[in-house]
Amino acid sequence: MTDISMHLNTDEIELWAQGLLPAVRAMHLADCSLCRVEAERERKVILELVQLPKFAPRAGFADRVMAQVKVPTPSGDWTA
Amino acid sequence: MFSLLYRMVRDRALAEDLAQETFIKVLNGIKSYRPEFKFSSWIFKIANNAAIDHLRRKSIDTLSLDGAPSAETPEQMRATSLQLGDRTESPLAEVENRELGTAIERAIARLRPEYRSCILLRHVEGYSYEEIADTLELPLGTVKTYIHRARNELRGFLADRRD
Repeated sequence: MTDISMHLNTDEIELWAQGLLPAVRAMHLADCSLCRVEAERERKVILELVQLPKFAPRAGFADRVMAQVKVPTPSGDWTA
Repeated sequence: MFSLLYRMVRDRALAEDLAQETFIKVLNGIKSYRPEFKFSSWIFKIANNAAIDHLRRKSIDTLSLDGAPSAETPEQMRATSLQLGDRTESPLAEVENRELGTAIERAIARLRPEYRSCILLRHVEGYSYEEIADTLELPLGTVKTYIHRARNELRGFLADRRD
């Protein structure tokens, strides 16, 4: 059993930032300003990262790829 | 996968070429796929290798926002740094500046490529540490170290911006 007075490690801080830290360890944050500041900073960075947009290639990307992929012919040969 | 490549090389056209190369390798080499691995991890592995190979070949990893690691003076750092704001010569460069010009994107660009892969797989693609270790063929402890260091560096870069 982990001592509630022990500082959170980096894995635990990540779990807390994701809302996944067990309550018994999360309680430590209420008493420890050091961990609270560290955890809050970590949460801000993680939040910025998870909110990053996804990008997509230009239209026609799949066609351009498939034009270069070898596909088997009925005779068993491979053709581009 | 395209997002990872784009953030690794910070060039849309190049990221598209690497994505195309990745899918062609995947589709032409489908027989070498081992089902014990997640299919998406296999694709990310090929994509990441393509990006890292490219960065090594072209030494783009040394063209960080801070300049080459070998740069010792402010002049050398300026001369070897990636000037995002200067890339206004084409409409595509404008798109890139808009898409990758935010503080967090610029901070990610300053990370070492191996840190960048890990942090993007973890927090943008939502991979677990174990999946990242499998995908990048790195020990689990190394992945954890890279991710923790990357987040620390990002915090530092973002704090610099706020100061």
